[in-house]
Amino acid sequence: MTFKVFRRHMALLVATFLCATPALAEPVTVTDDEDRELRLEQTAQRIVSLAPHITEVVFAVGAGDRLVGATQYSDYPPEAEDIPRVGGYSRIDLERVLELEPDLVIAWRSGNSGSQIERLRDLGIPVYVSEPRRFEGVASSMRRIAHLAGTEATGDAAAQAFLDRIEALRNEYAQRDPVRVFYQVWEQPLMTINDQHLIAEAIEVCGGSNVFGHLDRLVPRMDREAVIEADPEVIIGGGMGEDRPDWVRAWERWEDLTAVQRDNLFFIAPSLLQRHTPRIAEGTALMCEELERARLRRPGQ
Amino acid sequence: MTRAFLLAMGVLLPASVLAVLVALAFGSVTIPTADLLAVFNGEASRLHSTLVLELRLPRALAAFAAGGLLGIAGALMQVLLRNPLADPYVLGLSGGASVGALLAMLAGLSMFSVSMAAFFGALLSTVIVFGLAHGTGSWTPTRLLLTGVVVAAGWGAMISFILAVSPTAELPGMLYWLMGDVSHARNPYPAWGVLVLVVLLALPLGRTLNVLARGPMQAAALGVAVRPVEWSIYIAAALITATAVTQVGAVGFVGLIVPHMLRLVFGNDQRVILPASALAGGILLTLADTLARTIIAPEQLPVGVITAMLGVPVFLFLLYRSR
Repeated sequence: MTFKVFRRHMALLVATFLCATPALAEPVTVTDDEDRELRLEQTAQRIVSLAPHITEVVFAVGAGDRLVGATQYSDYPPEAEDIPRVGGYSRIDLERVLELEPDLVIAWRSGNSGSQIERLRDLGIPVYVSEPRRFEGVASSMRRIAHLAGTEATGDAAAQAFLDRIEALRNEYAQRDPVRVFYQVWEQPLMTINDQHLIAEAIEVCGGSNVFGHLDRLVPRMDREAVIEADPEVIIGGGMGEDRPDWVRAWERWEDLTAVQRDNLFFIAPSLLQRHTPRIAEGTALMCEELERARLRRPGQ
Repeated sequence: MTRAFLLAMGVLLPASVLAVLVALAFGSVTIPTADLLAVFNGEASRLHSTLVLELRLPRALAAFAAGGLLGIAGALMQVLLRNPLADPYVLGLSGGASVGALLAMLAGLSMFSVSMAAFFGALLSTVIVFGLAHGTGSWTPTRLLLTGVVVAAGWGAMISFILAVSPTAELPGMLYWLMGDVSHARNPYPAWGVLVLVVLLALPLGRTLNVLARGPMQAAALGVAVRPVEWSIYIAAALITATAVTQVGAVGFVGLIVPHMLRLVFGNDQRVILPASALAGGILLTLADTLARTIIAPEQLPVGVITAMLGVPVFLFLLYRSR
């Protein structure tokens, strides 16, 4: 190695140091979904996620290797299964969280207990509260979490790819002939969604209209009569697992329903549609295919 | 000081200290004994002292105070109503408290407001039951008991209604509250204040209560002002229970089984039973909460599940053994 080459190496090394060191110590500031400003002295290195969809988002923005704790049912991507558990999302095991010594906890407002979040804050742990509503919110959550973890490059790209995919679906399907959709969250009790819900946005992107979109509650509990009276063209079931629940087929009992006559009883895995993660783009794509299938089954088509 | 009193205190006071120590020593995170001792010397790591002093200690103290309050309220109710089935909740107190708490949760209020709503719900129920049972003048324990049971059923219907119309996201929190849960108790000291005050007030009243337990006629004949005493017990029990409910939600069984268990062991002398109920109730709830935190950690159980699972077999066994 000549001295010149060595000097160049040294110069590079010094340059890397000069660039890297301030970047590490740089404080990051982000506003969470409760409008609280969160300031970290440096990017988060030890993250605890308090909901399965948050775990997924952290992986999606390229910070999965920073996760030191996650709640039960954090099952996607498969690597998430190996992260130490800190209890179920509705009751966090605070001792376990503290033991992991996180420098960032990402909480879910409508799932976690407010008093436990408060408690973590009082114990001096930075808490980012996430509550994405629309697709735009999913993307902005991704960007903000990436910012906290210092993985903006991956995070911003993933968020943009997600929005682009949704936009492409919207351009293709949103203006097509409307399809009247009943989305069934659950059977006992019979539950659907109103237009404030994320799934309703997927329906809208695909050129569908939610038959119960006008109801007041986010997840209304329904009477079967109301569904029969609304006579949707398509029934899409959710449920819990990856397989079609029996109750989707059970609608066949009501032979006069348009959805039954045209065999428009569909199922989309809830993990693709009910979680606030970029995977919802996949679920939306599936939804668009099903609605398109329903359009093709119209008489005279 | 009778022998039974000394015996009860001799057993229960050390047991209380032990229960709190057990609650401090066990949790979902295992802390080696040496490190535990270090916490009290002030030499432990920040993590260990946070776990023990900021998470476990307030929680153990809250559980103990609430258990003690429920125990003593149960003992008072059983004397007042002269009915072995009476418990602190028999007058619809837990129902009123639950409706208050659930409505506050539904409105999205803070945990402190939820506790306050529970407190006032309990008192509202007390006033309703008392007013209705009093009615046109005749006031008997049976009538009070019946009114309480029916009002409790009414609250039950309202609870079901609130659960049925609440957003899904609120349900886990609500169910935990209804089953009794110590995890949101943060400041145990007001409850401790009430507990100490009640025990100090109850001690000199023990003799009067003993006479009252034999029946109002005999008590009146022996010079007890029956009506004022009954009213004071009633109001005191309501306030005590309402305080306990703000700490831990509607924990069942403690107030019912603790006084009975103690009676089977120490005999029915209120001078012993009242303070002993406070201690034994505290011990039971502290240990039950320790189990609730650790049994399926990192998942957490509501403490009410444990009190029922521990309490019922123990109670049935004692009842079976007694004549």
